[in-house]
Amino acid sequence: MEEAKLSRSAMIAIVLLRIVIGWHFLYEGIAKLTSPSWSAVGYMRASRGPFAALFKSIANNPQMLDNANLITMYGLTIVGVLLMLGLLTRLAAIGGIAFILLFYLCNPPFVGYFYTIPTEGTYLIVNKNLVELCALAVILLTRSGLVAGLDRIVHGLLAGRTRLAPLRV
Amino acid sequence: MNIEHSAGGVGIDEPRGLRDVRRFSHEAMATVYEVYSAHADAGYSAQAAQATFDLVDRLERELSRFLPNSDITRINHLEPGESTRVSPSTLECLAIARHMFDLTGGAFDVSIGSGLPSLDLDVENSIVGATTRGVRVDLGGIGKGYAVDLMAELLEEWGVHRSLVHGGFSSVLALDPPPDHDGWPLTLSDPGASSRVLARLSSRQTALGASGVRKGDHIVDPRTHDPVRGRRAAWVAVPRPPESARGGSDQHHRAAAATVTDALTTACMLLSLDEIEALCSATPGLEAWILEDTELVHF
Amino acid sequence: MATDHDDKGHPNADGASREPRKLDRRDVLKGLSTVPALGLFGYAWKKQREYQQAKAEEVAASTQAPADLQVINVALLGAGAQGQVLTDSMLRITGLRFRAVCDIWTEYNQKRVVNSLKRFKHEPNAYEDYREMLDKEKELDAVIIATPDFWHAQHTIDCLKAGKHVYCEKEMSTTLEGARSMVAAQRETNKLLQIGHQRRSNPRYLHCYNKILQEAKMLGRIVTVYGQWNRGVTPDLGAPERYVIPDARLKQYGFKDMHQFRNWRWYRGKGGGPIVDLGSHQIDIYGWFLGANPSGVMASGGNLYYDPKTHEWYDTVLAVFDYDTPLGPAKGYYSTQTTNGSQGYFENFMGDQGTLLISESEVNYAGQLYRDPNAPAWDEWVQKGYVSAPKEQETKAKSESTAIADVRESVAPDQHTVPVTLRDPYHQPHLQNFFDAVRGKAKLNCPADEAYQTAVAVLKVNEAIEARTRLAFKPEDFKPRMNTDQHG
Repeated sequence: MEEAKLSRSAMIAIVLLRIVIGWHFLYEGIAKLTSPSWSAVGYMRASRGPFAALFKSIANNPQMLDNANLITMYGLTIVGVLLMLGLLTRLAAIGGIAFILLFYLCNPPFVGYFYTIPTEGTYLIVNKNLVELCALAVILLTRSGLVAGLDRIVHGLLAGRTRLAPLRV
Repeated sequence: MNIEHSAGGVGIDEPRGLRDVRRFSHEAMATVYEVYSAHADAGYSAQAAQATFDLVDRLERELSRFLPNSDITRINHLEPGESTRVSPSTLECLAIARHMFDLTGGAFDVSIGSGLPSLDLDVENSIVGATTRGVRVDLGGIGKGYAVDLMAELLEEWGVHRSLVHGGFSSVLALDPPPDHDGWPLTLSDPGASSRVLARLSSRQTALGASGVRKGDHIVDPRTHDPVRGRRAAWVAVPRPPESARGGSDQHHRAAAATVTDALTTACMLLSLDEIEALCSATPGLEAWILEDTELVHF
Repeated sequence: MATDHDDKGHPNADGASREPRKLDRRDVLKGLSTVPALGLFGYAWKKQREYQQAKAEEVAASTQAPADLQVINVALLGAGAQGQVLTDSMLRITGLRFRAVCDIWTEYNQKRVVNSLKRFKHEPNAYEDYREMLDKEKELDAVIIATPDFWHAQHTIDCLKAGKHVYCEKEMSTTLEGARSMVAAQRETNKLLQIGHQRRSNPRYLHCYNKILQEAKMLGRIVTVYGQWNRGVTPDLGAPERYVIPDARLKQYGFKDMHQFRNWRWYRGKGGGPIVDLGSHQIDIYGWFLGANPSGVMASGGNLYYDPKTHEWYDTVLAVFDYDTPLGPAKGYYSTQTTNGSQGYFENFMGDQGTLLISESEVNYAGQLYRDPNAPAWDEWVQKGYVSAPKEQETKAKSESTAIADVRESVAPDQHTVPVTLRDPYHQPHLQNFFDAVRGKAKLNCPADEAYQTAVAVLKVNEAIEARTRLAFKPEDFKPRMNTDQHG
């Protein structure tokens, strides 16, 4: 598939987008890690929508709840760091998308359902989670890690080692 | 999303039939409080009633979560580790709420699932402390019963014994009946069709609580966050302990008949019929009426 | 054939031919270019933690009395409705020890307050006669006075002369001589005397005065002020039959009967009626915010509703004050009535550049500001946090069946709010200010000589109603002269 050539300013914008999303994830992760009593139980118990039963059953099962909390706390932190550094960008973007999808499906703002947790803003199907998810998709599909990020160094090292003679047409 | 209960259809039977009973009204806590008095001196009754209304206003300033500087609002804004001093009435009301939470297995929960047990209640120093973030307390329901209890005590202090107090008719406390009556004549009606009287009571020294939903509304079970369907109204009656058992107004522990009734009534909207039956058998004097769709069950 | 690279050194799109790329310095730089973002995060995170730590420490410190906090020994003189309100607030202030409660209603109010203090481990002695209290209480630093207005002067002077700091409820006195003698006693004894105009310590009012009016001058020139306090009909205050005070005791303390004891505010010589009970607070704010004392007052009032035998003062009053403010003349209208509670209580300051609508209530009229469309923008003040960002009002359109907006209907101005909330009971800040001053850590927000100016303005209104004409003030009227023949 052809990759569109992106202008320099577009790439800068995407790099910034990546850093900012990474910061967001990192802070969310670290805040939960350092808070004495954070747990996803409240959010999951208040789940509405087609997957409510699933989330509630996780919330009510202590073992599964523990795992969910650990995965969330560390996962968000790691995704955040990776995005900010531009390392394993695609993997991190996929991980980020997966997290956000879970949060979104736990409490989707569909007409006819409602939250017990009061939320700010007014949303109809599209809420901030969905927006961030799409932003991560953009990160995933462009190569900002290779442009300005540790991926560039890693790629360079790997490429230097494994590349054989250049192909010429 | 509406978890408000409307007055579940309690009324006074034939108020015109009660001669020489005067009625005084006052708006507070988003409802109307009333004192019905059969005391001979109308002017004195009015003054006594006004004293109870001043008391309700004071309680509203302490308990309302809509006032930015009430005790409850300060509690709802505590960070983990912070604590605040509250008035003794606030603490007493919270302590009863906590007790009822334990008694009903979480069915009655003034924090609607946001973590009531995580609040630290220091009764001696009247200090409330938060250990986690996000606890939101709403004493709306039980606060009315608590106000009614204190109003009744004040009326007794004034010597206006033949009286009835209520808050929005969802917390009712009947003291001594008018002369020539065995009790205050009360009716329980279908909240959806108030002309349909389901039961008639003659109450004295009894607290009656009413909880009901309007058509289309739901009550949310704080234990599961699911809406409850089918149950349309619940009434609970609790006898008021006699004066000697209660002690004077100086003591911390007052009779809390209407407060407890308020809590039980809300809980009875969520508990199963078996659980309610067990509760009534275990507690002598406790009566409950449950309206499911069209059927009224009496325990 | 060298392929082109785009600006970033990225292999170009055809992917067919690539140069082997060694890792050069430019690559390394670009690769590490986002690492500093992580550093920035770390810095911000550290700052956030420090802030949270500091806040947590502050909170922990404020909820316990620090070991070196000087404990103030307090007595309450007057345990009625207002005394109980003040006690409620004082129980939330750290570092106070209640030594005594004095009230002539020993059977009821006095007992009630003593018990509520005992619940919090205070051990106050109970007195009926305040002179006995001043005699016997050896360790007393301050007295809080909440007795009926006609007793204020004597109680305050005796307490000051006994070496105590005094917080006295408003109004200072029922007479100007009384108020003057209180200021004289304060100057003579050099003790603190704070008068209970609690809005002077209310954080919202202070914010409005200091930031919105003094610094930003957001209202421009205030030309008119309108304030009111409306209350609905209430029965007279009564008392439980079993606790009625014997006549002899009532007369000893200046009351002709139980009804007068409970409803002193309505009786001449005991109180000043609603204009003094209620208006005193708000007229005090008029003078404070306008920065001037009135030059004259005109008033109309009457006893329109209640039984004049038990309500000797006016139940309905409208007063018009003239002010010569530093920016020009202004009028202050004040209305109070006790037959209808419509719109409650508030003060509305109307300037040529903006309007400030405020009241003590945290719920109703908690501080709304409107900018005049011709006034300069308030963006700077919004950014500084002096007022909130404007909440846009919707265009009010008068439409019939066809939805065409009537262009003659004016657009409602944007509403800003005052971004300050009081989380404590209303009287707490003013009491806290008093006790801070006792400890030498603050200046009084309403010292007696300032409150005297309000007393002059307020007490004149009842006079003006009787005189049925405009009464003028001279600037000297607002300075309490020391009349040496009338000492004490």
